[in-house]
Amino acid sequence: MINLSDGGTLCPRLVVKGYNNCMFESVEQIQELLAGQNYVAERSLATAIYLALRLGKPLFLEGEAGVGKTEIAKVLSQSLDTQLIRLQCYEGLDVNSALYEWNYAHQMLHLRLLEASGADRSEMESNLFAPEFLQARPLLQAVEVSANGQTPVLLIDEIDRADEEFEAFLLELLSDFQVTIPELGTLTAKTPPIVIVTSNRTREVHDALKRRCLYYWIEYPTFQKELDIVRTKAPDVEPMLAREITAFIQELRRMELFKRPGVAETLDWTAALVALDQQTLSPDIIADTVGVILKYQDDIESMSPEAIANLLDRARIQADIER
Amino acid sequence: MHNHERTNSYLGPDGAPYHGGHLLHNLILFGRLCHALGMDITPNRMIEVSRALEFIDVSKKQDVYHTLRTLMVTRKRDLELFDEAFKHFWQKPAEGWTTLDLQSLGEKRHKKKTQFLPPPGASPENEHSPEPKPAADPKLIAVVPTYSQQEALRYKDFAEMTREEMLMAQRIMERLPWSLGRRTVRRMKPGKGATLDMRRALRENMKHSGEIINIPTRVRKIKPRPLVVISDISGSMERYTRMLLHFTFTLANSIYQVEAFVFSTNLSHITRQIERRSIDEALTEVGNSVNSWGGGTNTGASLHDFNYHWGRRVLGRGAVVILITDGWDRGEPDELRKEMARLQRNCYRLIWLNPLLEAPEYEPLTRGAQAMLPFVDDFLPIRNLANLETLVRKLWRVSWRRPERPSYSHLIQTTGMD
Repeated sequence: MINLSDGGTLCPRLVVKGYNNCMFESVEQIQELLAGQNYVAERSLATAIYLALRLGKPLFLEGEAGVGKTEIAKVLSQSLDTQLIRLQCYEGLDVNSALYEWNYAHQMLHLRLLEASGADRSEMESNLFAPEFLQARPLLQAVEVSANGQTPVLLIDEIDRADEEFEAFLLELLSDFQVTIPELGTLTAKTPPIVIVTSNRTREVHDALKRRCLYYWIEYPTFQKELDIVRTKAPDVEPMLAREITAFIQELRRMELFKRPGVAETLDWTAALVALDQQTLSPDIIADTVGVILKYQDDIESMSPEAIANLLDRARIQADIER
Repeated sequence: MHNHERTNSYLGPDGAPYHGGHLLHNLILFGRLCHALGMDITPNRMIEVSRALEFIDVSKKQDVYHTLRTLMVTRKRDLELFDEAFKHFWQKPAEGWTTLDLQSLGEKRHKKKTQFLPPPGASPENEHSPEPKPAADPKLIAVVPTYSQQEALRYKDFAEMTREEMLMAQRIMERLPWSLGRRTVRRMKPGKGATLDMRRALRENMKHSGEIINIPTRVRKIKPRPLVVISDISGSMERYTRMLLHFTFTLANSIYQVEAFVFSTNLSHITRQIERRSIDEALTEVGNSVNSWGGGTNTGASLHDFNYHWGRRVLGRGAVVILITDGWDRGEPDELRKEMARLQRNCYRLIWLNPLLEAPEYEPLTRGAQAMLPFVDDFLPIRNLANLETLVRKLWRVSWRRPERPSYSHLIQTTGMD
């Protein structure tokens, strides 16, 4: 059941000024928290997350596909032991699918019942638009959960896929965290949810939206960081193989590719090589599994046997240097 | 100018605590610097920065840096600029340090000035003043071209126009009703269609006690398509460059969403420069930011750059691409073919505008033109005003259905690189 103020009068707006009761005192705590969930984050990212929590502002994460943007929201919700509410964006996403929808079929049935029992119009109306017919979509769910005193993690994934109309709608929600349903009243989040907005930058998101958020650009990881990720996510991989995989991917990213492999691809490839019982990289096995890391025909074509041998040589040197 | 305030309030390496209002003061100065460098900084944001600094240990320079970066940068392209500004601003002032160092940061954005080729017949003094001002020229406002003048002008080659004729042509061009084909998007709005609008159905039929009498429906919304203009500014196009940039400017001001690029041996993104209020400002900005004017042409490499680094960002949502070039190309035809094919695959319609097309004795026989031709949906001239009118009509009619594209995959050689 949802706690809504009765229709007509608006709730007094709560002045939300960040998490003054935020349980984190320093950037180090965030780093530990993420490490506890096997998420390897550099200090800059931990600082951004820490500030987002302290200031109670949404965190806008931008970066190439597969660098772990969505993962941050999942890890945060797990480590804070709160609910993760996810809104996947797409073109044409509207209020009905993002915020709330009435259950029309039930309303229609109810209307018939009311009619049979001889109710008058005002009674009908107040009966029909009751909370029991309301279907909360992700954004309303997030506000609801926060209004009940908890702090969920709200993930607004791939905002660049949504259209400008939806962006404009989000502006209002992200600054006030309150939702007005004309028939029922206004629901306000006591403490704002932890909001993570991600974008693959398939288009530029409007400055007005970014202004309401903290901005963080996630780069492809460095050799050491990626090696840490591979080791934490695939603990049973041979140490030498892990080095070679990481170094190879790092070399690959320096090539002019249509789509450079992300961390997700590195992990998939590691899993594939482990499944194939490989102890070390060889040109043949790379040629056989290249479809795991490269997803465009042009990129795969550019991986001739010579190119693979060349990359592997450089990767081995790299793996040795970093040892 | 504020040198004396800064001298004793840098972020010290010894991590000494700060007293007084120096940090806040410097923060505001820093905010203004970033704002002056073109970053999106509002006073509100600076208040948040000062609040954020309360939460972290300001003696750790690294943390201060990450904090400011997270809060003050909102675009990837500003990250580098911010880093440099931060490095210069928050340091112990060296001896002989002046605010000039900071100013030079801003100046990095203004590179060498580029002169546009003046139209023939321009007087020598015009060559020195970089831009004539068509809008502010009182003489021109008084001169309304008569019908016959306009007619003569319509078929005159842009390259042969005098300065006055060019200004007149530009004014005519600006008045053309530029508009681009549209597309149905996935967003719905009320209207006559096949999708039932349950929300309205319930509301409107309440008065009939739940008997559905009115059946309101929804239809898909229609929006204009985005447009991408890629123009050749190499040496062989020099006589048209000025007019074509004006053309791009006109489009950017009349069409919903335009991304503009220019190329010769490499590609430059000029959308931000072209989005100015006046054409003069826009041209000056473009001139300052592009440094490959009038060079050779490498269409293949430029399109490769476009496909790999921009395509995903600007070709979404059924974009139409206008490619303006004469087809003279010094690059590899194989690469050009491959990139043209990719470009065509990724856009809704690819229109090639060629200023030489209607020139007497021109046939698109050059290697470049031969490589490109199979992959364009429309091949049109852009030589005079009459051509532009044809283009206007063409763009209005960019149809709802995708253009038919025969397969030319056999033309693309699949060879291993490296």
